[in-house]
Amino acid sequence: MPQVQGARAEFIAGIRAFMPTSMSILPFGIVCGAAAVSAGMDALQAAAMSILIFAGSAQIAASQLYANSAPWLVILATGVIINLRFLMYAASLSQHFGRLARRQQALIAYLLTDQAFAVTSVHASGRSDPRHLHWFYLGFGAATWLCWQTATVAGIVLGNLVPANWSIDFIVPLTFIAMLVPLLTDLALICAAIAGGLAAVFLVLPLKLNLIVAALLGISVGLFVERQVRRRG
Amino acid sequence: MIVGLGSATFLIRYWPITFLGRGELPGWLKRALRYVPAAVMAAIITPPLFFIGSTPTIAFDLPRGAAAALAAVVAWRTRSALPTLVLGMLALWTLQALSS
Repeated sequence: MPQVQGARAEFIAGIRAFMPTSMSILPFGIVCGAAAVSAGMDALQAAAMSILIFAGSAQIAASQLYANSAPWLVILATGVIINLRFLMYAASLSQHFGRLARRQQALIAYLLTDQAFAVTSVHASGRSDPRHLHWFYLGFGAATWLCWQTATVAGIVLGNLVPANWSIDFIVPLTFIAMLVPLLTDLALICAAIAGGLAAVFLVLPLKLNLIVAALLGISVGLFVERQVRRRG
Repeated sequence: MIVGLGSATFLIRYWPITFLGRGELPGWLKRALRYVPAAVMAAIITPPLFFIGSTPTIAFDLPRGAAAALAAVVAWRTRSALPTLVLGMLALWTLQALSS
């Protein structure tokens, strides 16, 4: 007998789905808060980053660039490139959420994270009620938001207390490894990742411009391999 | 700076949801966007494995690199974040303790 999930049930399901993810979001948020403070921002600015930007990798990159007195245009461009993947997620989610009221779409947009996209996409392909999918997403997003802000504040307050040789900042690449590896489902994606990863290291450019160029290189390699594969097969 | 980046990020997330319900992205852009997460995430992962400190000397940090490689294998096998993080950190601490 099919179960009809009400809006509230979906919302709670979303919150529950977030629980395992919180294990990676919490340390990530702490690192972000600590990074902002050690880059020279005050507590209010660091907290504002998490509220206004709500994107960990961009926040960390922005903090590091800020510490190096990078021009704000570079910070903006770097942040945009790092967050460009949200464009792809949003485009994919528009097939589910494209018809909602503007205000709900805005809230959905604000809460978009890698995990929210991935988990919601999986949930959508399951047996959930499509009419209430956005409630699942919002539950997940709300839990994420609370967790993130709490973690950021903890990072702001505690950041300086954790000794550097504990290497807690290693959590950031680990979090992304955990997200990246399951994505690499074909050769073109693997090549894109390898190209992007290598380029980011070997392009010794100032002010993290290497990240922008590395991303573009990775995308180009991905497209190139895709075309080669299509020609052969 | 924060407001600017916040607004830009919001627009990146908001615009496709509202406007792509109807129109379509050009084909080349759609194909290119597919590789953005892979390329960008890889580009975020690798620098912390190399540069120790702020001088860009390309020195491979062996404990971090090895721990990251192990984490990648764990991620591939388990597809789950928690074991990846836990085993990755444990590997790092172990290797750092061994090499000091």
